[in-house]
Amino acid sequence: MNSLRVFFVGGLISYRALFGWLTPAVYIPALILTPIFQILLFAYIGRAAGSQGDEFYVIGNAIQYASVPCIFVMSQTIADERFFQTLGPILISPAHRVPLFLGRALPVIVNALFVAAFALFAGGLILSITFSATSWLRLVPVLAVAMFSCTGLGLITGAIGLRIRETAVLSNVLVGLLLIFCGANVALASLPHWMAEIGRALPLTHAIAAARAVTNGGTLGQVQGLLGKEAALGIVYTVAGFGLIRFMERQSRLHATLERV
Amino acid sequence: MRTARLLALGWLFHFRMLSQSAFDGFLAILWPLFFATVAFFMFRSGHSVGGLAPVALGAAVMGVWTATSVSASSPLQRERRLGTLELLVAAPSNLATMLLSVCLATSTIGLYCIVATLIWARLLFGIHVPVAHPVSFVLGIVGIVVTIGSLGFLMAVAFVRSRRAWALGAVSEYPIWLVCGFLVPITLLPGWVRPISWLLGPTWGMRAIRAGAFGGDALPDVAMCLVLAAIYIGGGVLLLDTVLDSARKRATLSLT
Amino acid sequence: MANGPVIEARDLRRTYKTTTGVLRRKPLEVEAVRGISFAVEQGELFGLLGPNGAGKTTTIKMLITLLLPTSGEARVLGHDVVADAREVRKRIGYVFGGDRGLYERLSALDNLRYFAELYGVSGKAQRSRIDEVLELVGLKGREQERVAGFSRGMRQRLHIARGILHDPEVVFLDEPTIGVDPVGARELRTMISGLIAAGKTVLLTTHYMFEADALCDRIAVIAKGQIVGEGTPEALKAGVAEGRVTEIEVFGVGEAVVERLRGLAGVTAVAVEDRDQKQLLVVQTTGERELTAPLLAELDGIKVGRVTSREPTLEDAYVALVGTE
Repeated sequence: MNSLRVFFVGGLISYRALFGWLTPAVYIPALILTPIFQILLFAYIGRAAGSQGDEFYVIGNAIQYASVPCIFVMSQTIADERFFQTLGPILISPAHRVPLFLGRALPVIVNALFVAAFALFAGGLILSITFSATSWLRLVPVLAVAMFSCTGLGLITGAIGLRIRETAVLSNVLVGLLLIFCGANVALASLPHWMAEIGRALPLTHAIAAARAVTNGGTLGQVQGLLGKEAALGIVYTVAGFGLIRFMERQSRLHATLERV
Repeated sequence: MRTARLLALGWLFHFRMLSQSAFDGFLAILWPLFFATVAFFMFRSGHSVGGLAPVALGAAVMGVWTATSVSASSPLQRERRLGTLELLVAAPSNLATMLLSVCLATSTIGLYCIVATLIWARLLFGIHVPVAHPVSFVLGIVGIVVTIGSLGFLMAVAFVRSRRAWALGAVSEYPIWLVCGFLVPITLLPGWVRPISWLLGPTWGMRAIRAGAFGGDALPDVAMCLVLAAIYIGGGVLLLDTVLDSARKRATLSLT
Repeated sequence: MANGPVIEARDLRRTYKTTTGVLRRKPLEVEAVRGISFAVEQGELFGLLGPNGAGKTTTIKMLITLLLPTSGEARVLGHDVVADAREVRKRIGYVFGGDRGLYERLSALDNLRYFAELYGVSGKAQRSRIDEVLELVGLKGREQERVAGFSRGMRQRLHIARGILHDPEVVFLDEPTIGVDPVGARELRTMISGLIAAGKTVLLTTHYMFEADALCDRIAVIAKGQIVGEGTPEALKAGVAEGRVTEIEVFGVGEAVVERLRGLAGVTAVAVEDRDQKQLLVVQTTGERELTAPLLAELDGIKVGRVTSREPTLEDAYVALVGTE
């Protein structure tokens, strides 16, 4: 199968899934205003708690919030594929998995990257925090890796969504768990040991740490360990997600559930 | 009074329906717990004075707004999806009464949140919330449920025409938490925000509940809750009449 | 007792403004109802018959005050649907077909209790009235069950129960038997006739011709927003009664041939129905002369199957009315 076609057709489907979010009436409140509000909320809670400085919360929440488009849109993409009944044929095709995934994930990742970047910029601005140009240059790859690994998690959610209907609840729960465990608002060092371990197994944790380091003057070289771990996690989640989709699909042949819309 | 009966019955039935929904019921209770947990850790690792009890209370009340903000802003959307919206509009009863009963039902779901958060705080973080004046405490809770329901009603009416009302409701979640002083003392907010805080019923409800828990006079705060609730309801009813009329003319209520 | 007609529509029109295109939106005006006038007398079962998109639902929605007419006027029981909406709503019942329109998570009884309250059934009368309607629609004993588990037929019966809770004088039914199995549909129709027996006036919309024929005292046929025929079922059938209908099975006939058939002297209408591999040509003729031979002559070269000849039915009258522009 033509890898390029797989890339573009898949891209179109996930674009369609994005479409529900792309109307300004939804996009602006959900993906532009809310992350800024979340940043403000936690920055002020931080002040009330006498905890970390504002910049800590700006970075943490901007990246954590971008998990919303990653997870929601990715699972919607899978749901759309199931709706259009393209899922089965594609999964059993000899299409290469990389263009397959990238095609579907790329619009999602790019969009999430923009959401995170804009939140960083606007949220920071309101709190009188700006990042230098070099910081921005270094942030972009960090954000990209973060969004990639988080989208992998979205793939898993999407796979589960093939079986259970109420994925909105699951997606919200995942975003909530990330809020607690990925170090967005509470440094991992302040969490009990077992929670920090869970956090390190989740996407975004390493990227958030890397982003904080990079805006503090660190170079990409210095954070490559963190970025490597984040990317590796992303690959693990993606592969797991694909595996789960195959499994669900095989299950559905037994129980005739895949095509159930 | 017929309106009172309709209000009560509608409230009961919608509360029952919401309680059975995973999204409107279960998630509405779980969601604020995530934020409560983060807040507890933040305060525990921070250098603030005052224990975690006020944080637990604030987090408990956050849930009442969460339960209301999304569900209340789009009751018409739900009715539209169920196909019952036409029947409601075609009824000789006031649509406002029905909307208000839905919004009050959503904020009542918030009671589950309060209980859940306080239990969560106690079991997992060992936070003990005192109740110095039980009567004031309960009045405070009633006050905040009523005023949040009414604020939700005003929002529902304001967003009646929008098909994306749920997004607008959701975007108000964090700002209300912040501005009404649930977790952050109002004094920490920029000066220009404070008048807005005082105009919001939940601010007074929070104060009333704190007074009930830690001691202090809750009655003026409860009174403010109810006064503001009355204003929200009055404003919503007036606005609804205008909106419905225009919608009938231009067939824009999208009844189906 | 109402003196004038119970339902009166005078030159009702309804235009919708919509937009076409995605990027550059062009405004578009769609005239759904283009000047509809009719009157329904007390105790009548009046049918609005027409294909999908003809404007039946728009018309009924204007009559039940859900939509404001763009122009024209309508009165129900003497009250204007625009100015006196509340008075109209108190006295009418609205029943529509389909799965939606009920609170799934509540029981049938709770649904009725809620709507009883909404529609102004007095507190004391509620209990007995709910019992009454449950009995009437045959759901007694199932009222505690959640609506989510009801079949389509049961939901329809619950809809009717809900629609008559407040004992309205006029009942509007929008495609009440759609999607219901034949046995269930027959029961529903019996119930609808029962409403008339109870002294109510009923306006029914449907696209099932046999239903209109069986139930209605009078029918108005709507197509493309206008009434193209009105009268009792007998009168409408009489419009085509003198003629005959010839049905010809063909295998692959093109539009050009159908046009030529239409052009034959004595042919009033030709309809083509697709039946799997073949088509059925339904040719209405004035019956003055035997037309089978000329018809078959036009079909020379095309494979022809069975040819039958019969009396026209209401369906044929309908096709003739709706088919003409």
